[in-house]
Amino acid sequence: MTITAERFAQGLTYDAFKAGMSRNRERLEANEARVVIDEETRRAFRSLARPLRVLVLAEDWCGDVIANLPVLGALARESGTLDVRVFYRDQNLDLIDRWLNQGKYRSIPVFVFHDEDFRELGHWIERPAAVTELRARKRAEIFASHPEFGPPDAPVDQLPDHVRAALQAELQRMRDEMTPFANAEVQRELRELVVRVAAR
Amino acid sequence: MSPVRVKITYCAECGYEPQALELTKALMYEFGGDLSGIELIPWESGTFDVSIDGSLVHSMRREGGFPEAAAILSAVRTRLRGA
Repeated sequence: MTITAERFAQGLTYDAFKAGMSRNRERLEANEARVVIDEETRRAFRSLARPLRVLVLAEDWCGDVIANLPVLGALARESGTLDVRVFYRDQNLDLIDRWLNQGKYRSIPVFVFHDEDFRELGHWIERPAAVTELRARKRAEIFASHPEFGPPDAPVDQLPDHVRAALQAELQRMRDEMTPFANAEVQRELRELVVRVAAR
Repeated sequence: MSPVRVKITYCAECGYEPQALELTKALMYEFGGDLSGIELIPWESGTFDVSIDGSLVHSMRREGGFPEAAAILSAVRTRLRGA
């Protein structure tokens, strides 16, 4: 057992987490509006024999939380089979340290799926690998097509303000364009995880 | 001794503001008006870089982790003496 029922109940519901956000709520809601749950994923979650309890570790300053938590929120809302409780990572280090990324990083978000008896069934961390790979490739393309941005690994504080602002705008545009792909990948990975644990 | 400028580039979406502010405070308390400026640059991609007059003295990607404030203060002190 990784968590007690009492501890789990102390977590915030998705809506309570949103209500308590001190920043980025508009960005999160913009991402919510872009999430489209595909039929295969909807069916997989709706057909779960028993509801799952999902422990989430998050913070409202984290870009990956703002991007990916809305997907889980939409899955919970549309399937009715997920009980989601959100814990702030920095106030729950005992929890985050159980699900470190690569065994050493406190990456968020973390989604931990449990059965009704709080037996852990599987977990998901940060973002899909395919998103990380595509982002790296597109980032390299941006630098290749804009010599004014300098080498990709050079410190950005060396860039003139207007060039740095242009680079930031390009990176933001890249993330915006990638959102549909990223949302689909999150769904695919979560669906595969749930299908895998449901088969046990 | 002439003023020097420190730039701290930090990943805002990683929540590195506290570390950036802590280092800024340490620099302000230690050097005050001896610095010509402390510039905070919100960035992304897990960045936490510190440069002094354009020289990179700490990079999270290069060194790993956050800098020790004492090491940054020492580098600034050296720069101030040599400037």
